[in-house]
Amino acid sequence: MEVSDICRAYGRTEVLKGITFSAGPGECVGIVGGNGCGKTTLLSILAGAMRADGGSIVINGREAVGHPSVFAEETAYVPQENPLMDELSVQDNLLLWYRGGRKCMEKDLQDGPAAMLGIPKMLKSRVGILSGGMKKRLSIACALSEHAPVLILDEPGAALDLECKEEIQKYLLTYMEQGGTVILTSHELAELALCTQMYVLKGGKLEKIETGLSARDLVLQF
Amino acid sequence: MGASVTYLKLELKRAFLRLPQMLLGAAALIVFMGAAVLVASGALYGSRAAGRIAVGVLLPEGDALARQAVSMISSLESVKSLCDFSYPERDEAMKALEQGELYAVLEVPDGFVEDIINGTNTPVRIYFKGEASVESQIFKELSEAGAATLGASQAGIYAGDELLMALGLSERIPVLEDDLNRIFLRYSLPRMDYFRKHTVSAAGDVEPPVFYGVSMAVLFLLFGAIPVSGYLMPPGRVMQQKLSLLGVGRTVILAARCIGLTALFFAVTLFACMAACGFGLLAQSFLSVGTLLLICAAAACFVVFIYQAAGSLLGGVMLLFLSVTAMHFVSGGFLPLVFLPRAFGALAPFLPSYILMEGMKMIVTESFEPLVFGKLVALAVCGFVAGLLAGRRIR
Repeated sequence: MEVSDICRAYGRTEVLKGITFSAGPGECVGIVGGNGCGKTTLLSILAGAMRADGGSIVINGREAVGHPSVFAEETAYVPQENPLMDELSVQDNLLLWYRGGRKCMEKDLQDGPAAMLGIPKMLKSRVGILSGGMKKRLSIACALSEHAPVLILDEPGAALDLECKEEIQKYLLTYMEQGGTVILTSHELAELALCTQMYVLKGGKLEKIETGLSARDLVLQF
Repeated sequence: MGASVTYLKLELKRAFLRLPQMLLGAAALIVFMGAAVLVASGALYGSRAAGRIAVGVLLPEGDALARQAVSMISSLESVKSLCDFSYPERDEAMKALEQGELYAVLEVPDGFVEDIINGTNTPVRIYFKGEASVESQIFKELSEAGAATLGASQAGIYAGDELLMALGLSERIPVLEDDLNRIFLRYSLPRMDYFRKHTVSAAGDVEPPVFYGVSMAVLFLLFGAIPVSGYLMPPGRVMQQKLSLLGVGRTVILAARCIGLTALFFAVTLFACMAACGFGLLAQSFLSVGTLLLICAAAACFVVFIYQAAGSLLGGVMLLFLSVTAMHFVSGGFLPLVFLPRAFGALAPFLPSYILMEGMKMIVTESFEPLVFGKLVALAVCGFVAGLLAGRRIR
């Protein structure tokens, strides 16, 4: 994934000023920064959920900006807020993100990301009664319905218990081992420990920082 | 396409999961509205609405003809439906009038019928209590109307008599009078012959019970959305973004929401209509079912627009309640338009409540008008487009 010169402004406020970085297969890029610095905006743009004012995103050699189908095929986006229908069952939710393709869904429930995330156990449950961790796992499974090579996660471990966080981290490692690229924002050191590249978003610009920094050193970078 | 169809199916499933909530809400609404109607009718009419007009008649002794004439008058449909005639003694009648047991006392003079025939026309004396009650006023109006009818009949007979006399055909007067009595009175006295053909009501071309039934049905339909407000909330920004990545745009999202609510409305109202058919209040027809579906779609699009415009659950409930109440009032849903300022009458035909009432009226009266179908379609389209615009504004 080659990201170059991405800009975005809300009115007169420039949130992103020429964001540039790249990530290869099996890599995990961590983006940190203070609250309101534009992390969610950046991830939304990288996933195609929001339009950039300028710049380029090339994924697997294909320009994604201005081509929603490229984003849809190449990226899996897991926003902070779970995009799920609470009244419906886990199976119904999966069906939506699999675009009604039952065969693909059933295959993934046997040996795909959904199986690895433990979704088959809760298939008949109503989403509204699931715990935060289960919902997050379901969100990831839904996002990966297209088996996209780039997984973008916005604070995946926020408000989850330790066990859930660990399960998600395990899955992310597996995903990377299989050649996937992960881009995430987080305030959790354990999640950031997965990262092979780290950036801090400050004043609308990305600055590369060392990986494996302590919490104190990390905060000093903000 | 596959994603849009799947989303539509799931939205319908979501909608039907809310059916028990809507039915419970509908039941509560019926209880609430029933109580409101009872309280309102009690406040408006009190116990007086049930009262009939008791009238005492003083007949000259041994005048069989006068008794027969009064008996005939009391059996007229317009009199019988309102008045109860009794024949007390004079003192007894005056005492009853004073005590409010009688609203009027008719004193029929000696030779009453003969005087009508010979043209003397000795008047009937009518006594009312000092403070005229509503019933006394009604009876006064009724008497005046009766006298006018009788006067018109007599004028016809006298004119005929004079004409025959002027033509030197006096011997034919009894035949003319017989004929006129038979023909003229036959048409003029049973006035219900006319009123049965043309209903005259403050509620327009339907009778008040039908009018209020239609009005309540529309109110019930629009307020019926309140228990399922949770379903009507627009999806969150993130969900919209994700759906958009899936190829499900805002138009599809809104359409699915409108279709889901239409299905819910239709399920509930169809059940109510089937019950009404069972009781013989409505006739069964495919056109009525189609009209009901169109009404539900128009109402659903309007309600979805309200929730899109409000942007929040509480805001949606408040906006729906206030806008429907105001709109229903201006549309003459609470008080018929003839009792409201003229400006309301000019504005009403453009309001959703009025259009929906017109649609419901078509089902009840079974007189289907293409123009009303057009208005219902226009309401559905306008509601949908306004919902899209409101959603864009919020985004």
